[in-house]
Amino acid sequence: MAGILYLMAFVLQKESQKADEYLREIKEQSLLSEAVRQCVEAAGHEHEPETQKTLLRRHFTYRRNDNTHWFTPSLSQLLSLNFPPEQFVSMCRDLRVLNAVRDYTVGIPLTHTQFKQMTVQVLIDRLVYRKLYPLAIEVCRYLKTPEYQGVSRVLKHWACYKVQQKEESDEVIAKAVSVKLADAAGISYSEIATKAYESGRTELAIKLLEFEPRSGEQVPLLLKMKKSPLALSKAIESGDTDLVYTVVMYLKNELNRGDFFMMLRNQPVALSLYKQFCKHQEQDTLKDLFNQDDDHEELGNFYVKASYKDQRLEARVALLQSAVDEYYKAKNDFSAKTTEDEMRLLRFQRKLEEEKGEQLVGFSLHDTMTTLLSVGLHKHAEQLYKDFRVPDKRFWWLKLKALAEKEDWEELEKFGKTKKSPIGYLPFVEVCIKHHNKYEAKKYVSKVTPEQKVKAHLAVGDMEGAAEAAIERRNESEISTVLSRCSATTDHLLMERLNRAKATAVKK
Amino acid sequence: MAHTEWKDAPGLPDFSLLKRLARDQLIFLLEQLPGKKDLFIDADLMSPLDRIANVTILKQHEVDKLYKVELKPIVNLVNADKVAGRFRRYKIIFTPQKFYACETVLEEQGVYGDVTTDEWNFYILPLDDDILSLELPEFFRDNFLEGDQRWVTTAGSALRLLQSVYGSFSKVYGIGRCAKMVYESWRELMEDGEQRTRQPEFAKVFLVDRDVDFVTPLCSQVVYEGLVDDLFRIKCGSVEFGPDVTSSDKSIKVMLNSQDKVFSEIRNEHFSNVFGFLSQKAKNLQTAYDKRRGMDIQQMKAFVADELKGLKQEHRLLSLHIGASESMMKKKTKQDFQELLKTEHSLLEGFEIRECITYIEEHINRQVSMIDSLRLLCLLSITENGLLSKDYRSLKAQYLQSYGIEHLLTFANLRQLGLLEEQQAGETLTVMESKVGKLVNDKTVGKLTDAFSSLAKKSNFRALSKRLALVPKSGEEYDLRVPRDMAYVFSGAYIPLSCKLIEQVLERDGWTGMEEVTRMLNGQEFAVTEARSKTDAQRIVLVMFLGGCTFSEISALRFLGKERGCRFIVVTTAITNSSRLLEALLDNSA
Repeated sequence: MAGILYLMAFVLQKESQKADEYLREIKEQSLLSEAVRQCVEAAGHEHEPETQKTLLRRHFTYRRNDNTHWFTPSLSQLLSLNFPPEQFVSMCRDLRVLNAVRDYTVGIPLTHTQFKQMTVQVLIDRLVYRKLYPLAIEVCRYLKTPEYQGVSRVLKHWACYKVQQKEESDEVIAKAVSVKLADAAGISYSEIATKAYESGRTELAIKLLEFEPRSGEQVPLLLKMKKSPLALSKAIESGDTDLVYTVVMYLKNELNRGDFFMMLRNQPVALSLYKQFCKHQEQDTLKDLFNQDDDHEELGNFYVKASYKDQRLEARVALLQSAVDEYYKAKNDFSAKTTEDEMRLLRFQRKLEEEKGEQLVGFSLHDTMTTLLSVGLHKHAEQLYKDFRVPDKRFWWLKLKALAEKEDWEELEKFGKTKKSPIGYLPFVEVCIKHHNKYEAKKYVSKVTPEQKVKAHLAVGDMEGAAEAAIERRNESEISTVLSRCSATTDHLLMERLNRAKATAVKK
Repeated sequence: MAHTEWKDAPGLPDFSLLKRLARDQLIFLLEQLPGKKDLFIDADLMSPLDRIANVTILKQHEVDKLYKVELKPIVNLVNADKVAGRFRRYKIIFTPQKFYACETVLEEQGVYGDVTTDEWNFYILPLDDDILSLELPEFFRDNFLEGDQRWVTTAGSALRLLQSVYGSFSKVYGIGRCAKMVYESWRELMEDGEQRTRQPEFAKVFLVDRDVDFVTPLCSQVVYEGLVDDLFRIKCGSVEFGPDVTSSDKSIKVMLNSQDKVFSEIRNEHFSNVFGFLSQKAKNLQTAYDKRRGMDIQQMKAFVADELKGLKQEHRLLSLHIGASESMMKKKTKQDFQELLKTEHSLLEGFEIRECITYIEEHINRQVSMIDSLRLLCLLSITENGLLSKDYRSLKAQYLQSYGIEHLLTFANLRQLGLLEEQQAGETLTVMESKVGKLVNDKTVGKLTDAFSSLAKKSNFRALSKRLALVPKSGEEYDLRVPRDMAYVFSGAYIPLSCKLIEQVLERDGWTGMEEVTRMLNGQEFAVTEARSKTDAQRIVLVMFLGGCTFSEISALRFLGKERGCRFIVVTTAITNSSRLLEALLDNSA
């Protein structure tokens, strides 16, 4: 019946009355929409634009007849009709594209069926292959192909082709490419650059890579082009540590050690990353790196670290000696001296270990002395105290603690009398209390300085004494402290006295 | 500080979604290896994994046995199997992301071809309604000490994840080098991916580097939650209370979050208030129990059905927290702790520095605590802008005598981070002095020396503290029951610098007017407007701490939120405190 419709249209065109007859015929079979569909489809198979037009016009013709008067439909009216216009619209588009490629200058005589089979993508590919870039772009735009698959893809191909044109200079091409591609979404400049590189235009490739916003894409190609310094700085610029690692590892295998180190030296970020890697994987390389930089301080630290990883004493001492040398080179006298002390301490510890069988090697000076005192080797502890210029205070604390731990109260008392205690006598009181020896503690209370008297009395639980001391000193906060420790039931009188004293203290 | 007080504050987004996402991805990865499989888990990942997918879930997906991974065992396992001629399939799942270096290591160990690898993008673990953690304790050392920026992208990815789930942000503020890099990495990730326009659930983001404020994490914490962390170490939102707390011979693991009704009421309180609060609570509980008396059968039935379980639960929690605070009181009300706090406060105020140094010296000499001594030293150095050469050397020498020469390296690390320094300016100035000195007479030299030393002593912390009013005037009474500002988290002695910065920037909607402050903090500040939006989300602020944040800071921000009618969500690379911070910098082992 499409045939009839076609015929009818043909007749209508000639303004013949017969049309109405034809139309009625179709109507009777109530297959109008089918007829319209067929018309549209038939148009698709027609090569001659004029015939296409006629067939497509049928579509409207029928519509108009339905309303029994004639008019030219506008798009909106078209859309408001019952017959779905999509098919019609897409057919028009397809035909327009097909007609364009069928043009003799292009010469791709495709049938509509072929076109549907091979899809737009392939058609664009073919156009691209024939270097018909402008047409391909027009087609993409006309068919509203998404940019990624459409315009951008064509532009990329164009650019790839462009960069192979040997007669033009790098600058001209780079500029042309960047101007054309500026607004296109999803362009991978690195692919274009790869093409340029493959056709032997490294400089152009580098220029093009400048446009690539993603460093992750730039770096591999730069490496391939052996532009490692650039690759490294790009990787660092990207802030992507992983990328930097990739480049650093690549360089490590590619360059000789000297060049590699030199390159890292100019890139602090890469260097610190590589150091980090070496710390875990290659200790010796780390040393070489410090050596190259004449970083004696770090070298010293490196040896110190190495020394306590080693179990053997000789090795440890040797490593420490290296550390000392480095520290002196770094003009760090403090570290050098401390390290020398450590060597002396190690030797001392070893000697004593052999003589006395005490486990000592590796202890800090403080711990060594604690151990010595706890096993009663006071002489040796004292030797350390003198040799290593241990502050008096520390020594007193140490000895105090050690003696109390052994509950050697007699020795403690003697020690307390050797000279005036540099740490005062409150610690004596406290240490005795800690070991639950109130009797011993009381011995030292009288020796405590006036400022600490209250505390000392309180420590031994002597409320009376504490109150006495506090009142004597007329110190409000101390009186309050004592008050807070009094219990209302047993220390009633004391509290009264304290309160009175407090009142006068406040007045003052 | 119950939720009801924030009636006008906006509600928080539902972060359990993040857990679900991570769990689903893990399950997907497991399902990709059909059949029975053994799972080797890195020790550090154990607790976070447990929060995401427990053993039952793992078993459901045919995980046969679980092993804890110590050092490099996968490689050893593979190689051992190879020698034994056993055939198994191996897959290494890296989380949160795989690094190129991982492949290099596998290659070097000769197992690259034997294993397949995958990534589990488990970026964020919600620890509580308002705390999200990346669980990257290594972030601090790697980034700030070693200059290894590998985690920057991880932090960026975490932000992007938040953005894709909860909508985009309208404004981003930040300070610090790392913050800037994270922001840039995040921007880059955003450009790569598809844009989603939806109503945001939070609108403002504040990024802050840990090294902007070292003072705060170095102070002793006195807010309940912080104190629990300092004393018992909260791990992944749960804490193990030892026998001294539980008053039995067993340790108990407790989850500490807003689900725990007792804890959520005391977590932000100064610990001096906690005990009173708990005993009041205990009394209330008793009254509730006492209701039973005089009930008839029907009422009793209802009581048992409705209330008893809740009461029992509350009872259990209450007795735990009472136990914990008792044990705290025992440790913390001791003379030592009081003196420690006093020293800290003096340092913060810049008051009686000589006494402080003497105290620290004694602290070192008596070997009280390796970490605490170090902490005080750092606090001294930062607040005083470095130690005088003489003090530095003597204190360092004494420290080494106490704890061993290995700490030379620790000191080197601390110096590198600017945590513990010898006043360098002094040296260069001395050179200058002697040069100038040759030109003028003796008397003028003396004057010059004074002038120079005052120049050298100029301390940034002091200036900052003055400018931002971090340290309230001493002598004023501070009622810890009714805190008037964020200083309450440090007994009214100090407002955390980090939190003060956040407050100021949010108030000014940028850094304008704070140029001097940012200059003293070494700049690198930024404020970017991404989009405009006028919703409730404006009042939810995401604060990201790069390098860790302390519970005290979280408490301070909660307080600030309450004051300003907004809510803060803390995203941190890990929860930190003074011990964790300093332990990360020790170099006495490994």
